[in-house]
Amino acid sequence: MKIKEIVNNIFSYTPPINYKFILPDNSDTENSNNIQTKGNIPEKKENIFASLDVNLDYIKMKYNLLINSDIITREFILNARGKQHKALLLYIDGMVDSQSLNDFVLQPLMMRNKNNLFDGDQNRIISEAVSNNITVRKVKKFDLADYIESCLIPQNNIEKTNSFDEIFSGVNSGNCALFVDTLNIAFNIDIKGFKQRNIDKPQNEIVIKGPHEAFVENIRTNTSLLRRFSNNEDLVIESLEVGTMTKTKCAVCYMQNIANNDLIAEIKYRINNLDVDSILSIGQLEQLISDNNSLGLPRAISTERPDNAVQHILEGRVVVLLNGSPFALILPAIMIDFLTSPEDRNLKTIFSNFLRAIRILAAFFALLLPGLYVSVTSFHIEILPTELLYSILAARESVPFPVIFEILIMEISFEIIREASLRVPSPIGTTIGIVGGLVVGQAAVSAGIVSPILIIIVAITALSSFAIPDYTFSFHLRVFRFLFVFLGYAAGFLGIGIGLFVYLSIICDMESFGVSYSVPYSTMENLKSTGIVLPPIWKREYRSAYLATKKSQKQKDISMKWKFQ
Amino acid sequence: MVKQKISTISAIMLTLSIVVSYITSSLPRTFINESKSAAILNIVYITAIVLFIILLFCKLLKKFPGLDLLDISNFLGGNILKNIVGGFFIFYFILSSSLMLRNFCEGLSVVYYPLTSYVFVILMFIIALAISNRLGFISTLNTASIIFPLVLISAILLFCGNLDNFSFRRIYPILGDGFYNTFILGLKNIGSFGGICYLYFLPPMLKEPEKLKKIAIISVICTGAFILLCVATLLFMFSFFITTNEVMPLFSAARYIEFGSFFQRFESIFLLIWIISFCCYLSISCKFATHIFSKMFNLSDMKPLLTIFTILILGISLLPKNYAVSSSFETDFYRYLRIAIGYILGMLILILANLKKKKVGEKN
Repeated sequence: MKIKEIVNNIFSYTPPINYKFILPDNSDTENSNNIQTKGNIPEKKENIFASLDVNLDYIKMKYNLLINSDIITREFILNARGKQHKALLLYIDGMVDSQSLNDFVLQPLMMRNKNNLFDGDQNRIISEAVSNNITVRKVKKFDLADYIESCLIPQNNIEKTNSFDEIFSGVNSGNCALFVDTLNIAFNIDIKGFKQRNIDKPQNEIVIKGPHEAFVENIRTNTSLLRRFSNNEDLVIESLEVGTMTKTKCAVCYMQNIANNDLIAEIKYRINNLDVDSILSIGQLEQLISDNNSLGLPRAISTERPDNAVQHILEGRVVVLLNGSPFALILPAIMIDFLTSPEDRNLKTIFSNFLRAIRILAAFFALLLPGLYVSVTSFHIEILPTELLYSILAARESVPFPVIFEILIMEISFEIIREASLRVPSPIGTTIGIVGGLVVGQAAVSAGIVSPILIIIVAITALSSFAIPDYTFSFHLRVFRFLFVFLGYAAGFLGIGIGLFVYLSIICDMESFGVSYSVPYSTMENLKSTGIVLPPIWKREYRSAYLATKKSQKQKDISMKWKFQ
Repeated sequence: MVKQKISTISAIMLTLSIVVSYITSSLPRTFINESKSAAILNIVYITAIVLFIILLFCKLLKKFPGLDLLDISNFLGGNILKNIVGGFFIFYFILSSSLMLRNFCEGLSVVYYPLTSYVFVILMFIIALAISNRLGFISTLNTASIIFPLVLISAILLFCGNLDNFSFRRIYPILGDGFYNTFILGLKNIGSFGGICYLYFLPPMLKEPEKLKKIAIISVICTGAFILLCVATLLFMFSFFITTNEVMPLFSAARYIEFGSFFQRFESIFLLIWIISFCCYLSISCKFATHIFSKMFNLSDMKPLLTIFTILILGISLLPKNYAVSSSFETDFYRYLRIAIGYILGMLILILANLKKKKVGEKN
């Protein structure tokens, strides 16, 4: 940067950038963007109509076919005993087996095969009586529905139903629904064909009491995973394209009856207004759609677990998937989300809160422990008990360097070891860790370059940074702890205090898609659902207030009815 | 200034954060100096008086819902009065934060950095202020909301940790230097409730302006309780001859806390919390001063002003020749300025505005 620019940056007036998205408290305001919602439609159980067009309109409305990209409706002409009927297949792309659909559903229904031809012998005569030379035959009336079920579809699992609810439930779980004009029933045909166990185990977010499935690179497989976990037709998966050259497929997923309309519109607006040649990973997309921040803190949760993504969708957040990336972005995200593990929900509350407290402590250590050590040994030695002070002084006796130099050597060495173990093939990675951690550490102490107490400090800091569930957040802590080391060395607790104030102020100023980054710890309002401490599962009645969802309550006041009825 | 509105709890935290900075520097010393062993009685008495004043303030403000003192001054005497009142408050906010900064930094310098010039300590705070000024007003309030509970815990810990060192006899004679000194001369201590001045400008910023009364009452009671806790700690611990000589009396009290032989001398951790809280106070004061200035001259963007006010705070804080000057300035002048601007000027404007409104109403 030129000197002139630096001077200009400091002294010249730059008008503020007024773009600021604020999440309104109420999602159903007049200013809300017009996304088709079912908020005002009464929840009424509908039966299937006899008219195919009416059924199609109902499906379009229910599934938001105008914006939902993976819901397929295939209209065709069905041949049954020489007559032609309009028919419609409804299924979700990625969840059905296309081969089975073509061979065993569409082909028998559309082709003029033997079954479809009427040769007169197919009339079933139940009884025949002759009276006055008049033959009276009792013929079973032709039933198209029965005929389709028993003659036309060679499937082992097919159900007739007159309820849309049952049909939608089947479609959401990977079945295909057949509607025929003039019939007020539909067929629920089992042709599930989504990817199952070749979906791999999560590599980074390992849980014990949860599903062991992770996203893959194929976006359609990922959307099918979301569909399976959510099993609800209110889940909307909108397809967008990003990158003028790559035209990478991107899916914006949300519950249309829960998520805030303005939030959805803002995310879509940002994705649609990206003018880049290519986007190849979700990390690039995250940086492009999030607001910049000087601390490098993540503003979106990245997860490889579909159950985690669905959990957040049901909470009222929006999930963004990108073709070619086995991660989902969850928006918006607040700071405490990065200290929360998917396992927390599966554990008893007391253990979850204990683990959360441990992680907060780990974040504190990862950021501040070296800085505090430097400031205590440089300025505030009175805080140390006399015995400990003597042992520290004795250990440092043979070290010729000042404490700042000592700690920088160890911290930088540790970062080098860490980076090296990532770059080498995995079998050698462990060796590098052992060699780096034990041998170099021990050798450094023996050589009198660093003191043993410092090895303990660096080791605790390193372990603490590993305890942070989110990689980006952990990275941020690793980088900024150097700043606190310098501040601690410069002015002791005064430096740390000033640094912490600035750090907290920046965090409190940050927002992720209109949601304050520091909730629930700073804005102490609406405590019923903010989650300072994770409540027991039966008490999690409300969705987070800061998400301004359409439905605030997610379970009844008494959820364990078996106990209190 | 504040596009996002302030919640009720944040507003209470704001007023409490102001008093924390007074307490950590010299307020308890002033109380004990003035009232001797009757300091506790004096705090209770002063809290009751301020509570009465604040109720009157809320009653007077009732006819001007959602308006701050500048709007009311504008209604009363037009732009000229608005600018005069604004000028007084800017002067008060800048002067108070500058002198508090100087005193606090002198204290820090004496306690921890005897070989370092206090100017460097002041500069560190100024850098923090300059950075935080680039951020929104809400961020400072949120930071104060995070820090204040820690400050409160530190005060409680200070009280509980020193219980063994307490001598409750120091409360006697209960009237200190007598009735006159405690209740008549002691009235000067109403200036300790410095958060009141900020309440005048809160109504337009509040999410729920109708809760101003609740905010004011809770703030006064909590401030009173907080001062009581800190003054009681000092009064029960030290003879008031010792207390009045200490640079940072609360810091001295923190030195005596010990839990067994291993956990001793925590004062630097207390200081860490107070430093962060003090930064919050500086930032709030600076932003309020800028807010008033930009409202006086209808400026849409106040960010460039923040830099100027920061430099102004630095300049004023360097003016006193030494700690004795800045400290005596606080005891002899600044306290009265706080009463004159915070209570007399503010209340006068409100009373006159109410009378005018009544008159206008009668005419119509």
